[in-house]
Amino acid sequence: MLEKLAKYRYQYIMIAPAVVLLLLFSYIPMAGIQVAFKNFHIGYTIWNAPWVGLGNFSFLQDDQFWIVVKNTVIIAVLKFIFGFPAPILLALLINEVKHSGFKRFVQSVSYLPHFFSWIVVAYILQSLLTLDGGLVNQFVAKTGNDPIFFLGSTEWFRPMIVASGLWKEVGWNTILYLAAITTIDPQLYEAAKVEGAGRLAQIRHITLPGILPTISIVLILSMPSLIAVGMDQIYPLMNPANQPVADVLDTYILRSGLQQGYFGMATAVGLLSSVISLILVLITNGMSRKLNGEGLW
Amino acid sequence: MKRSVSDQAGQFIIIALLLLLCFSVIYPFLYMLAISLNVGSDAAKGGVYLWPRQFTLYNFRIVLGNEIIRHAYWITAARTIAGTVIGLLVTLLAAFGLSYRALPMRNTLLGYVLITMLFSGGLIPFYIQLHDLSLLNSFWVYIVPSAFSAWNMFVMMKFIQGVPEALIESAEMDGAQPFRVLWSIILPLSKPMLAALGLFTGVMHWNDWFAGAFFVSKQSLIPVQTFLQQLLSAQDISAVLGSGNNVESIARGTSLANVTLMSVKMATVMVSAIPILCVYPFLQRYFVKGVLIGSVKG
Repeated sequence: MLEKLAKYRYQYIMIAPAVVLLLLFSYIPMAGIQVAFKNFHIGYTIWNAPWVGLGNFSFLQDDQFWIVVKNTVIIAVLKFIFGFPAPILLALLINEVKHSGFKRFVQSVSYLPHFFSWIVVAYILQSLLTLDGGLVNQFVAKTGNDPIFFLGSTEWFRPMIVASGLWKEVGWNTILYLAAITTIDPQLYEAAKVEGAGRLAQIRHITLPGILPTISIVLILSMPSLIAVGMDQIYPLMNPANQPVADVLDTYILRSGLQQGYFGMATAVGLLSSVISLILVLITNGMSRKLNGEGLW
Repeated sequence: MKRSVSDQAGQFIIIALLLLLCFSVIYPFLYMLAISLNVGSDAAKGGVYLWPRQFTLYNFRIVLGNEIIRHAYWITAARTIAGTVIGLLVTLLAAFGLSYRALPMRNTLLGYVLITMLFSGGLIPFYIQLHDLSLLNSFWVYIVPSAFSAWNMFVMMKFIQGVPEALIESAEMDGAQPFRVLWSIILPLSKPMLAALGLFTGVMHWNDWFAGAFFVSKQSLIPVQTFLQQLLSAQDISAVLGSGNNVESIARGTSLANVTLMSVKMATVMVSAIPILCVYPFLQRYFVKGVLIGSVKG
């Protein structure tokens, strides 16, 4: 055995940095989940902080917490309803384009927003929507209406989040679907044409079934980020005026943990949301296996 | 074959829809560029949509002349380069080591990596760990915790396993050790894949604002995206430029009154976006390939 290990010593040296990094930044933080059941302050270590049982879970009786849960679920569901089918539709549209140069152009342009940060997107929204001199409000004013304070209103916040999410990622998310479409056997389309199937019928009976496995994989992989709606996109756009609808689990954890110092409680909220997203992954994987015959595992 | 009328109408509608999408992506950048190239007080009157009305480079001169902003760019550039090089190195080494199918304990090690993709301790325990390792408020907080990417590792490993084994065996017959095999056989072959993963890693570093906002409190360490995040909700211009001498030295000879917060914001954002816009056309073919390699199941 030792001889075998020695034979592969160079390989172990190569893997070692990764093993150490995962230990430090993945496994020790996993052990740090115990902070959810401890009274932790900076100065303690995760091991020697005193246990408090379920004391940190008192947020479950906090009305604010349930508002946050509601906001999280609403935004997650809205983003899912619009965000999940959109790239499939876009891929189908792009696939129907006959001019290959135009096809490539659309793809290049639609991928582009993926490469900008949410901060840049927040600025784009600001430049278009801001109250004094924003492009949209210039038009609103021209039509004789009162300007709308999009960025600081509770009604416009959710549509704004959904729309900006679509704008940023829809093109990028078509890549896999477009690739899946190219693997479909062209003979199937020929056969369908002979039998008199129109374009829509071809999409329904050939293209969609053809990309179904890809759809279900993307669905499973999107589950963990479903609940994690907040940090990158919402935090930059959140302000006191829209907070009643904008505050989600991620921003709640950030505020109570890093900004107010309730480490134990924030860890407990985080634990709860990781458990929920794990359950979602398991459910979707199970469903995919049942309907589709295959899941991620 | 003659196309039917409905077919042509369909094409027309599809092309119109897709053009609308492209317009929605391109126009905001043109609009922000026009605002940033216009005299601020003039742009505030409205009516600048595509071309600057009163052209000026003054907003850009303020942005590029500002000490804080220049420093933030320097931090961003440094972390993007260091983070990408170190990240690719650590990940490639692990991927190559784990690509040996006969390696003892290989499945255990793969499981060790895989688990971290499914579970995590969450933000707060991670923060506590950064604190315990004294990484908070240090430049290395940008580099070290993200140096290994499990996702990229699996992609690389799949790719390396696709390299014909005869190639590696013949090198080993000539007495090459694994580091030598990696350097002279694997590395040259995996250039396109490294380019794709390097691009993703680089963009991630360039765009990250979170670490700068929460893991670092020294202003001298924040990257440009974090600076932008702080600037986003700023209400007056001196908060942005600082009250130091640099404002006056830039403003000398010109009137600061022509500058608005909006025009400076737009110029700053354009400066952070332009590098990405510049490299994008060249790297495009690589990243599509990158996504597709990454999606290979199994």
